[in-house]
Amino acid sequence: MIMQDIGNLEEKSAYIIRETKEKFGNVAALWSGGKDSTAMIMIARRAFLGKVPFPVIHIDNGIDFPETYKFRDDLAKKWNLDLIVAKSRIKPELSGFSCCGSNKTDALKEVMKEHGFDALIVSIRRDEHGIRAKERYFSPRDTEFKWNYKDQPAELWNNYSSKMDTKGHVRVHPILDWNEIDIWQYTMKMKVPVNPLYYSSNGYRYRSLGCTHCTVPVKSNAKSIRQIMDELKVTETEERAGREQDKEKAYVMEKLRALGYM
Amino acid sequence: MDIKRVTLLGNKDHGKSTLIGSLLIATGSATKQRIEEAKNVSRKLGRNFEPGFILDSFEEEREGGLTIDTTRAQITYKDAAFEFIDVPGHEELIGNMISGASYGDFAVLMVSAKDGEGITEQTRRHLMLAKLLGISRVVVAVNKMDAVAYKKEKFELIMDAVNGFCTNIGFEPGSVVFVPISAYNADNLVKRSARIRWYVGKPLMELVYEAASAKKRSSNGLRLLFQGTIKSGRKTLYTGKIVNGRLQRGQKIRIMPVGRNAVVNSIYVKGKEMRTASEGQNVALEIFGAHATRGCVGFDLESNPRCGTEFNAMVFSVEKIPKKVQLRMNGSELMADVAVFGEVDLKSGRIKEAHSIKPLGTGKAKIRLLESTIIESAIECPEMGRFLLYDSGRFAGIGIID
Repeated sequence: MIMQDIGNLEEKSAYIIRETKEKFGNVAALWSGGKDSTAMIMIARRAFLGKVPFPVIHIDNGIDFPETYKFRDDLAKKWNLDLIVAKSRIKPELSGFSCCGSNKTDALKEVMKEHGFDALIVSIRRDEHGIRAKERYFSPRDTEFKWNYKDQPAELWNNYSSKMDTKGHVRVHPILDWNEIDIWQYTMKMKVPVNPLYYSSNGYRYRSLGCTHCTVPVKSNAKSIRQIMDELKVTETEERAGREQDKEKAYVMEKLRALGYM
Repeated sequence: MDIKRVTLLGNKDHGKSTLIGSLLIATGSATKQRIEEAKNVSRKLGRNFEPGFILDSFEEEREGGLTIDTTRAQITYKDAAFEFIDVPGHEELIGNMISGASYGDFAVLMVSAKDGEGITEQTRRHLMLAKLLGISRVVVAVNKMDAVAYKKEKFELIMDAVNGFCTNIGFEPGSVVFVPISAYNADNLVKRSARIRWYVGKPLMELVYEAASAKKRSSNGLRLLFQGTIKSGRKTLYTGKIVNGRLQRGQKIRIMPVGRNAVVNSIYVKGKEMRTASEGQNVALEIFGAHATRGCVGFDLESNPRCGTEFNAMVFSVEKIPKKVQLRMNGSELMADVAVFGEVDLKSGRIKEAHSIKPLGTGKAKIRLLESTIIESAIECPEMGRFLLYDSGRFAGIGIID
């Protein structure tokens, strides 16, 4: 896995986050308590001199890990975040694709409607999944949240889609360029707080965090960020290998995302 | 490490996705899991292993064998890292192609040597676009050499034709280099191939490595593009990005097009107060003496910024460009009149007189604005000398100031 210059990466992300605030009236960000969205919030804090200027939404399906809830509440207090918890209902008969598609996406739709957000910052990265590699930095969604990946707007020379370009909202992806290992490098350098589930316990750690039903840990002895990075440099598996919904069948991520999943 | 971005250009079906797939494998840059996945999908579709499937991840792309939107793949070679940007080759997706290509520092152009393929209108159009997008170095990979029995004459024919066209559209001598390859068989990708002994040059990755080390030139004055404002306590700070030069605390700057001087009282970079800031950094500034709105540019006092309502530009038309358009430049949106006076002949690369530009064509135009703005040529400062054209909200084209 290639390690990039995190100084340059942060500049690009900060530009995008400031551009979002400048061009949209009602911005929110998704925050799962995972490493990526937490790093993104750190970038925003620095770009706006200490205060995150938009609310952060946690889609809470009620079956996240206890560590994640504690991490969320502690950090929201410490960083003075405007936290919105959007509860989703778990339907026990659903799992994997149908579960993520229905529960998480429905809860997101409700909270977006309730608050009337016109831009939603989502901390996805290109290297996570083939489909996410196709994303723009600013990606319009229609009122049904659908992603029309065949006819995406042109995006070049720092000119991005604005709210004029859609009747729905615009998804903003400020950390699209970052690799998994860059997030860890940044987390270490900036002393960004880390959800303890990422560290090894009894020979296993979580590499990517979802809910308790569909996320499985990977074999690892990494007990520090440095050790995590050493493992990533030589890994032969993909980051989301522990995510059940990605594996069910080919193209499942493509379908999830077209339907409004993050 | 900084990743060098390589745009992959060329006609559809000339093997771009296959090349990236093969490079990912040959350089050891793809995980076993991804290779396995590509093998499984190839098998499911009842085909031989297609290296391009490591990349093309939309169901429709795999089954239809086309790239619909930009894809990126990271490849390590020697001490460097490259991101290959695979753009769609077919016409109807030119917006996607331009978006992808605009992120590259230099390009690899694929031309198939196979009979009936060769140099096409699309090949020339991509070269034209590369020039417009500021790509100054191109490695031409003459692909599918296996389909022509690795014959030298086939390679040379393509080389001569591409060279001629590139000279006419303004590429400097020596900035376009050639290598014969087979992306599918991995000939001349990372190592010299024993099947092409007549070729004494370097393999593709070595040429890419050399193209990446070429220095880009930059002017030395301050160019600060103002983005907007943020609040910090009771203070209002101006945000912006330095695209050229340096800025110091206490420095006097000239803000255009308003034409007023201001003093920079404090500079914040990544949340911290700093004495100086430099190229590439996003700043938040406290300034006294003038206001700066989005679209304004800050210059040092030695620079001599040109402002006006008229300039000549090279324009690429995505859709028919009407006489009245919206121009997006430096964060501003301006209404403009476009008067075309020349079009590039795609066969030869030369400019001929014309009064309109056909869709997917390139031409010369005089642009007239309703209000005065800063006019800086794309050669002097690429970030400031380029613009997008919109027709009632639809993306219609791109341009660079002469």
